[in-house]
Amino acid sequence: MADALQPAGAAATRGLPTPVRTEAEVLACQPEGGANRRLVLRVPGWPGFAPGQFAMLSPGALGGAPRSDPLLPRPMAVYRAPGGDGEVEILFKVTGRGTRLLADALPGQRVRFVGPLGLAFADPEPEERAILVAGGTGIASLYALARRLARAGGPGVEVLLGARSGADLMGRDDFAALDVRLHTATEDGSEGSRGLVTALLEAALQEGAPARVYACGPTAMMRRVAELAAARDRPCVVSLENAMACGFGVCLGCAAPLRGGGFALVCRDGPVLDAAAVDWERMP
Amino acid sequence: MSDAAAVDTRVDLGGIALRNPVLAASGTFGYGSEFEPFLDLRRLGGFVAKSLTLEPRAGNPPPRIAETPSGLLNAISLENVGVEAFIHQKLPAIPDGVTVIASVFETEIDRYAEVCKRLTGVARVAGIEINASCPHVKSGGIEFGQDPKLLAQLVRGARRATGLPLVIKLSPNVTDIAAMARVCEGEGANAVSLVNALQALEVDIETRRPVLSNVLGGLSGPAIRPLALRMVWQAARAVSIPVCGIGGIEGPADAVKFLLCGATAVQVGTSNYLDPGVAGQIADGIAAYAARHGVARLTDLVGALEGVPG
Repeated sequence: MADALQPAGAAATRGLPTPVRTEAEVLACQPEGGANRRLVLRVPGWPGFAPGQFAMLSPGALGGAPRSDPLLPRPMAVYRAPGGDGEVEILFKVTGRGTRLLADALPGQRVRFVGPLGLAFADPEPEERAILVAGGTGIASLYALARRLARAGGPGVEVLLGARSGADLMGRDDFAALDVRLHTATEDGSEGSRGLVTALLEAALQEGAPARVYACGPTAMMRRVAELAAARDRPCVVSLENAMACGFGVCLGCAAPLRGGGFALVCRDGPVLDAAAVDWERMP
Repeated sequence: MSDAAAVDTRVDLGGIALRNPVLAASGTFGYGSEFEPFLDLRRLGGFVAKSLTLEPRAGNPPPRIAETPSGLLNAISLENVGVEAFIHQKLPAIPDGVTVIASVFETEIDRYAEVCKRLTGVARVAGIEINASCPHVKSGGIEFGQDPKLLAQLVRGARRATGLPLVIKLSPNVTDIAAMARVCEGEGANAVSLVNALQALEVDIETRRPVLSNVLGGLSGPAIRPLALRMVWQAARAVSIPVCGIGGIEGPADAVKFLLCGATAVQVGTSNYLDPGVAGQIADGIAAYAARHGVARLTDLVGALEGVPG
């Protein structure tokens, strides 16, 4: 599934696997630099995924004393699924109580898992370079795409990763092992160039060859990426990270305003959306 | 009696025959088909579809939801496809054998009645739930469900518009829930369901702003369960029409509590987001409870709360 080529466009909708609802077993939960963690799960009945899809994870392990606080599952990008035996990796950052509890999950414990959900990244046109821009936890959303595009060959894959500090650059070594051009930027200058990852994008867009931009990160970053791509007339897709309660189109909580009016549901119509379609002014 | 499969789980919710007392609540279950990857819908008593208006309706700008202690605050503003698209596009996609209750929401009584009329005679619609928690435009925004006179007019209008079983979903934002239930019974409603979400507010102290764009939202989830249970108990003692209990049901034990407090059926809401298969487990779990306690029919549990004086 992960290797099936998808038609060009903002998001790929065809051939996506049917999601499962299950209890996944925690195989490991390891430090991943800074406040980041790498959660390795075994997901019974795992149907595979396409890059860009996500899953909903219960805030902490199940079992023991029943707990209703925090209440809602957390949407998290599927980072990769090595092995094909239901092993799924999720990279996340501890930002609050739900992610703190998830970080404390021990091997052998279970977490509720619903996924994979959402639409996937479409591939670039054959003549297009791919420029992947990620900030903070947005890095987790782009690894699977980088891996697939690197293996597919083509005019090249440029990966630009940004974070506050070098320690916060999740998955860096995984990206470095791929056949991609990797650049990093940190706000404190502790790794790569000092400054924002969007400065790296400005430089990357200077090259004249056709390119398609893929971005995931904080809203302000994605908005700037969208502006830079539009100024160079390059197609740009973003993977949005709006808060959501369900992940499969019923709570209607994750609405993203569209420039043409109305809303897209990030979970159902995204998370991958055409950056030019998003009304960034009205994004929360 | 220890076989859950031998328990008679059937209930009658004001003329709507349900194979078991577990419904999925309106606004938390989409139009049903969203749950098909996760749950055989035939395991449920049925579901109440997303509230319908005459015309399609877009929702509020984000942020629309926020997590609160054991709860969910939302202000979606009843985004829906409209009654015609529901009838012609959404209903045909629902598998046979699934009991569907339509939910109606509008800003004026005439419009409520019109939506009810359009749903009447549609083969798959087993009944109509009236969402009475909408602000009435002509009365300066007060909810239909907060004013007994407005509520009476609404139920009367809906009753005239349809012969389908009519369930009135009550607002918890009232002082005397029993009086509201009596109003519904007096105007010919076949059942009442309660509670809808509680009006609530959450604030971000860093931005000094409400967390929702709409300022106020509806609170749901386990946080409201004891309050919902109290209101169901009060309503069930006040009327002889069936009561459907709603509010923070997470598992079979919670559902049983509502039955004991007088609910003939229950609706599972926010928990569907956490686990899209939970409603099926609750249906199975209630039967297992009954089997464990030697209860042959689930209707024997309805109102079986003991130790209550008078």
